[in-house]
Amino acid sequence: MISALESQLAIGAILFTLGAIGFLTRRNLILMMLSGEMMLHGVSINLTAFGRYHNNAAGQSFTVFVLTVAACEAGLALAVILTLYQRRKSLDVELWSNLGEADLTREVEPAFPAAPPPHEYPRLTPAGAMPKPQAPTVTAKTTT
Amino acid sequence: MNPLPEQWRMIVPAALGALAVWMLLPRDGKRRWVLGSLCGLVALVGVLSTVRPVIDDWAMDGLFYLFGGGAVLSGVMMITDRNPIYAALWFALVTLSTCGLFLLNAAPFLSAATIVVYAGAIVVTFVFVIMLAQQAGAATYDRRAFQPMLATCAGFLLLGAILYTIDASGRGGEDARPQFLPRVQIAEVTPNPLSQPRILNEETGETDLGSLSSIGRSLFGDYLFAVELAGTVLLIATIGAIALAPRRAQGHL
Amino acid sequence: MFDWLQQNVIWMIPAAPLLACLWIVFVGQFARRELAHRPVVLALSVSVLSALYLMFAVVPKTFVEHHGEAHAAHAEEHPAEHAAAEPEEAEHPSEAVSALAAVEPSEEGHAEETHAAAKSVTFLVYNWFDVGDMHIPVLLRADAMSSLMLLMVTSVSLLVAIFASGYMHGDPGYPRFFAAMALFVFSMCMLVLAGNFLLMFVFWEAVGLCSYLLIGFWFHKPSAAAAAKKAFVVNRIGDFGFILGVFLTWTTFGTLDFQQLFEDPTLITGVAHSNPAIFTTICLLLFVGAVGKSAQFPLHVWLPDAMEGPTPVSALIHAATMVTAGVYLVARCAPLFMHAPLALLVVSIIGAITALVAAITALTQYDLKRVLAYSTVSQLGYMFMSLGAAAANPEHLMQHAVTFAMFHMFTHAYFKAVLFLAAGSVMHAMGDIIDMRYFSGLKKALPITHRTFLCGALALAGFPLLSGFWSKDEILSVLFAASRTSSPYALAFSIIWAVSLLVSLMTAFYTFRAYFLTFHGPERFPEAAGHHPHDAPPAMAGPLYLLAFGAIFVGLIAGPTHLYAHYLHQTPGLPTADPHPMNLVMMGLSTVIALAGIGMAYALYGRGATAPAPDAPLSPAAAFSYNGLYLDQLYLALVVRPLRGLAKLSETFDKQVIDRLVDTTAAIPALVGAVIRPFQNGMVQNYAFIMLLGLAACLMWVIQAVAG
Repeated sequence: MISALESQLAIGAILFTLGAIGFLTRRNLILMMLSGEMMLHGVSINLTAFGRYHNNAAGQSFTVFVLTVAACEAGLALAVILTLYQRRKSLDVELWSNLGEADLTREVEPAFPAAPPPHEYPRLTPAGAMPKPQAPTVTAKTTT
Repeated sequence: MNPLPEQWRMIVPAALGALAVWMLLPRDGKRRWVLGSLCGLVALVGVLSTVRPVIDDWAMDGLFYLFGGGAVLSGVMMITDRNPIYAALWFALVTLSTCGLFLLNAAPFLSAATIVVYAGAIVVTFVFVIMLAQQAGAATYDRRAFQPMLATCAGFLLLGAILYTIDASGRGGEDARPQFLPRVQIAEVTPNPLSQPRILNEETGETDLGSLSSIGRSLFGDYLFAVELAGTVLLIATIGAIALAPRRAQGHL
Repeated sequence: MFDWLQQNVIWMIPAAPLLACLWIVFVGQFARRELAHRPVVLALSVSVLSALYLMFAVVPKTFVEHHGEAHAAHAEEHPAEHAAAEPEEAEHPSEAVSALAAVEPSEEGHAEETHAAAKSVTFLVYNWFDVGDMHIPVLLRADAMSSLMLLMVTSVSLLVAIFASGYMHGDPGYPRFFAAMALFVFSMCMLVLAGNFLLMFVFWEAVGLCSYLLIGFWFHKPSAAAAAKKAFVVNRIGDFGFILGVFLTWTTFGTLDFQQLFEDPTLITGVAHSNPAIFTTICLLLFVGAVGKSAQFPLHVWLPDAMEGPTPVSALIHAATMVTAGVYLVARCAPLFMHAPLALLVVSIIGAITALVAAITALTQYDLKRVLAYSTVSQLGYMFMSLGAAAANPEHLMQHAVTFAMFHMFTHAYFKAVLFLAAGSVMHAMGDIIDMRYFSGLKKALPITHRTFLCGALALAGFPLLSGFWSKDEILSVLFAASRTSSPYALAFSIIWAVSLLVSLMTAFYTFRAYFLTFHGPERFPEAAGHHPHDAPPAMAGPLYLLAFGAIFVGLIAGPTHLYAHYLHQTPGLPTADPHPMNLVMMGLSTVIALAGIGMAYALYGRGATAPAPDAPLSPAAAFSYNGLYLDQLYLALVVRPLRGLAKLSETFDKQVIDRLVDTTAAIPALVGAVIRPFQNGMVQNYAFIMLLGLAACLMWVIQAVAG
């Protein structure tokens, strides 16, 4: 009914849209970047599909460039994210909205619910007995 | 084949998909993930049946469904998962599926390169960063989506528009309107001569499209300047990343 | 050698002080600040010698021919233009210094020898601009009148500079003072030497600037700063009239060049016949400039306040030189004024009013310098009275009117300078106290000052045979002559003549009132003076003696012998007339008046009477005089207050209407911005959302367009 090209284009479009939705809805900086990468995937699929359709290597060459740009973006994004994390100890993107109009009244979101306790992963039982903590014999000044 | 009237067969799956994504996105309280998954599955089936390729080779069809469906499913899972590490792993799956589609598009080299670059480098790095930056327990901001309704509507509005276009152009013949994809004759239009693959076998029409030599000819012939620019961009990005990365005492993030 | 000097001496006069000023500005104020007076004194010596030489260069054969052949004028006209247009030459006067150093330095005063052919010397520095028909060169032009004026300016400046080196000693702004003074002498010389009206106006403003700088020399004193501002602003009113007059001159005659205007009688007479009214307008406008600069009646209020400046400045700028620029301007433009008798009458009336008002005010002042300042205003009024006397009969009286005004200016420069410098010496000794109610009987403590002040006071009062006697007597006689003509203005001049006699009496009175209050009576010193007030040190005493010598003998040498008059008559363009006979009756009358004034002062203040206590109440008449006829208050009420009210009104209008309007205009974009401002909320995802919406909208639009 429809050709291989169109089905590939549809998959690319879906990936692109899902990436966009992810970028819009996730508050985690890293997940936002990953969503962006997913949008690039959708584009790459389109490019290769067109290359196939035209029986031409240009589409694949463009995908190589997309890869290059994606790599650059990932490296820079990580550096930026790390710097931001150093400042606020959080990956929440909403902490970084200082460039907006200062006196704008923003709609107040309800507070985040308390996070569930961290998942208890099963642990191996310690081998042997725990060593008893020894009384410190050396004074603390040995530390440099 | 398709029970829906023509103008609805793209719109209904898109709307169902939007509903699914909206229900699955993280929110306060409990997600209706059963209903969401159901909607999503229906939508996926609807889309895939609509965009069913007309390749006679059933193996190729099967692979397309596998990789295409896998990519879409993994994408949905990635953007809806509360745990960032799982999301990153879902992303790796999206990448793998994409690479499978690359294979179907006669791009084995790209497929390998993408796996190496994404799954091997980018995802791993992201996972490292997530693990280092993750606080104890699930971060609260991962548990609530930002404007889920608006974002979903906008996204699927766009998707619906694209799919409608693809569908309309795909069903049309030579004189169909809208004709977004003109059936150009390859022999007539050869914009990038070096990007043309070499014909290996005159009888079968087999070419070396997707092979290393073909991509190499294209890259270092037609797109030499762009390659140089891309290299420069990489170098600058490296320097920028080094300059941006926070200085810290050893052993601290 | 002498040819070279003849051609180049003219630019050395202004160039030397300019160089001294630049030297102090760039070198002298950084190294050895206490020696900053040396370049100025050196430069002014050069200027004096150059001015002296210029006198002989302008009127050749000065020594050779007898002055009986006074009117063999214009016989041998030198080629007037030595247009050696090399401006860089003006930067190297050092050779000139060595060349002139050999000339014997002669004291001022006996330079007025005889004369020969009238001519002028010009020197083109460079072409300033040529716009259309307007050619304005920086042209130096010297004739008999300007060289006399130059000699007066440079010699008084030199003596005042030497005096100031003692007077200003130890002041933190010592180099600044001398730099400003050198700049002033440069500007004044250029004003006198200017070859056209525009150049004259430029330096007219420049002397105003220097005056501002020097009045406000102690700018940290609020009163000095206010006085400087007042002088500047009041002068601007006059300067506005001056520049309007210059514009009108340009539109009327098509030239601003003195040479063309004054040495070519056809130009002026042509216009005079066709449009006499324009002459009156031009002359009145130029006179407005002179009124401002020379502190005449409506605008005289700045001069007494200008005494806030250092005393040498008062002596040089506000007594001897700058304030006489107005007189010089009117005298210079005598060929124009000759055709405007009405303007001349106005000049004379304004002069009479000024002289009277200033003399009345001076009667009761207790500030020694203010007495002298009002007396300066009064004497300047005399000069204008004299200039205006020609209104009665321009053809016959113009020459005498100009001559006597210039002569009075010349002698006045010396005796007023010595008076001011002596007052400065008193101030120096009294620890900057100048109010006569705080000291008296300084005769013994300050003998040098006392002697020189007495010389100046006698000259000012018109004591027989001293300078002021000769010049004032001639003014009285020319006014009398004007009142005896048959012109319709004779009656006015009779009144003016009577006023001048009255003012003469008052002059003698207030001068000696100040003298007696200061130097006679019981010996009293203010606290600020310390125990032993010291008399003038040599640097101050020398100039005092020299100026006192000038105050006594300048008039005697140049007055009865008519040396000055004969020299001045060589000025090209000045109308000629019959020699003016000496009026012995007038001399006797003036002697009696002077002696009467001195006697009245002696009777009231000379016999041990002292000034009242500083806080003693004044009688209404005395208060009227003491406050300067309440003119300052009148101006305050009539001009300053309404202007302030207008300013308040404008401010209110600005704030209430214009600012509101602007604010409203600014509010409109803000209102529009309020609609789209919420999108700029700083959240990355919001921006991405809008982008996505935009993308979807674009795509839909394309589909719609293509499919539809």
